Amino acid sequence: MDINVVIIGHVDHGKSTLIGRLLYDSASITEGRVEEIQRLAEEYKKRFEFAYFLDSFDDELKEERTIDTTGVMFKGKNLYSVTDVPGHKEFIKNMLTGASHADVAVLVVSAEEGIQEQTGRHAFLVNMLGIKQLFVMINKMDIMDYKEKAFKDTKKKVSQLLTSFGYHNVVFIPGSAMEGDNIYKRSERMPWYRGQILIEALDSVQLKREAKPLRFVVQDIYRVDSDNVIAGRVESGTLHRGEEVIFYPSGAKGKIIKIVVFGGELEKAESGDSIGIIATCEPRRGDICGTMDNPPATTTEFKGEAVLLEDSLKAGDVVELRCSTQRVSCRIKEILEKIDSETGAVIEQHPKRLIQHEAAIIIFATGPIVVEKFSDIPELGRFVLVRDKNIGAGVVLETSA
Amino acid sequence: MPELKDLENKSIYIIREAFAEFKHPAVLWSTGKDSTATLWLCKKAFFGKIPFPVIHIDTTYKFKEMYEFRDRIAREWGFNLLVARNEEAIKTGFGPKDGKFECCTALKTEALRQMLAREKFDALILAIRRDEHGIRAKERYFSPRDEDFKWNYKDQPLEMWDQYQSIIEDKTHTRVHPLLHWRELDVWEYTRQEGLPVHPMYFAKNGKRYRSLGCEPCTNTIDSNAATIDQIIEELKITKIAERSGRAQDKEKAFTMQKLRALGYM
Repeated sequence: MDINVVIIGHVDHGKSTLIGRLLYDSASITEGRVEEIQRLAEEYKKRFEFAYFLDSFDDELKEERTIDTTGVMFKGKNLYSVTDVPGHKEFIKNMLTGASHADVAVLVVSAEEGIQEQTGRHAFLVNMLGIKQLFVMINKMDIMDYKEKAFKDTKKKVSQLLTSFGYHNVVFIPGSAMEGDNIYKRSERMPWYRGQILIEALDSVQLKREAKPLRFVVQDIYRVDSDNVIAGRVESGTLHRGEEVIFYPSGAKGKIIKIVVFGGELEKAESGDSIGIIATCEPRRGDICGTMDNPPATTTEFKGEAVLLEDSLKAGDVVELRCSTQRVSCRIKEILEKIDSETGAVIEQHPKRLIQHEAAIIIFATGPIVVEKFSDIPELGRFVLVRDKNIGAGVVLETSA
Repeated sequence: MPELKDLENKSIYIIREAFAEFKHPAVLWSTGKDSTATLWLCKKAFFGKIPFPVIHIDTTYKFKEMYEFRDRIAREWGFNLLVARNEEAIKTGFGPKDGKFECCTALKTEALRQMLAREKFDALILAIRRDEHGIRAKERYFSPRDEDFKWNYKDQPLEMWDQYQSIIEDKTHTRVHPLLHWRELDVWEYTRQEGLPVHPMYFAKNGKRYRSLGCEPCTNTIDSNAATIDQIIEELKITKIAERSGRAQDKEKAFTMQKLRALGYM
């Protein structure tokens, strides 16, 4: 099984060090890399750090902080793609870029510093991204002399915070990424802890796939030989040959004559499959296809939760909204509530304006678009906002306003 | 193997998005294993015919076998091959003796820049992977380059889920990386599964083979007895040696790769 894990938490709580330690202890580091890092450490007059396996930019080493997200892979019981993200507020957009692909999150909290600004914000954001499985690594236990009390004190506070976001029964692991305690190997320095260590917690992850209605997203129409092939991807459910289907927003209705891939034909296609179909109707890029008994629906207004990563946004602004391959004009009809992305608390009703890093519940008025509740079909329930560049991202709470 | 299917599905989705979002895309092909797999994914994405040009950067320092391989595949697969060469630098005899950094910049980056300026490509599909190099691990799937060809790695776009930023301004272009999430092992397993043509230099002769192919003066062999794809796959499952350990430009000095890439190197 392939599992995407994102490591989140406040700056300097030890995210990059933790991943470096995982790679090192699982013998996933290539020959010469350790020596190379020792050389770099000397050149920069710094001590050897596991974080240097991840921080590859010159600037990251000089400033001793992660600037952009990194992906590394290692093999345990599962094949893990581990994503490192920066812990500074100014790099939240890089954090979200990395976290948006994750199945599981590990929140790293320093036992010495406890909850800090990005501890809460990162947890809030991964919750918004729909990441249900979260583990907490109470790190830097070496500095706290491996005392159980230090672990329990921090655990209590973090537990309260996570409960307010809706995370329950979270596994808390005391450890030290720097010293390698309870990351890949069980530590003898904390005999009072008998729970899962980090690698055991990750190895126990199960990813569920639920049966969902068919949603096929149209990317393009290609002329192949004498056929018009509708190219796209099945986002959820199963597409069968011979089925009657309907495409929205265009409303094109027809029958699937063939499902094609290069050099062959298929009887059916499952979620995730990039395929082509030949049908008796002519949809267009951006159309979403479903079966007649459970078709997608077009809307022009929906309620969503969004976070702004760049720029500012006020009620009445018009931006572009992108959801799957759909691109529509979108007016910020009403900002209902401004949410503190550090605590999840509502801080203002009907605010006029949002600035960078603020989150809000918004009514979006758009051109005809197919969206689904994020909790039902995430692939069609998430969107980005574009104004000259990608400025914000969000999820659909209600498909009508 | 279902995992290879997932990798392929995602890559095809990305390639089709690039084709839909940009006016003049092109794909870069070094004749190596990664970019050959990328060409194959392009063929599959469009049901057999690659609808945009394939660019090969010719530094004139490539191995003789690479030219033969290039011309044979181009003929058999029937795509539009464009060869990018920095003729001015080649004429003056510019080469690795002038410095590895300078040579890569002049004969690769500059040759590519000239080609883009001439053909007005707004997107370049490239076969880089995260697991090849720490700097490449920091990349986006859609990665913009400014008009001076520079990569502003300190301010990369927000790229959540499959929402790749595709806005481009005049004279800029976007690098598209459909293989970013693949590992070296995946590329070989895919090559075997799909029966793709493989450059003979990857196979061991007299206890040595090339693991990564570049220019002849700056590419070294590794010790290996892997003479078939199956043996290469077995070797990769146990090796602790870095893939690009035979590539001089990666490790001449700390951050040579970062500096090369900031200027528009691949």
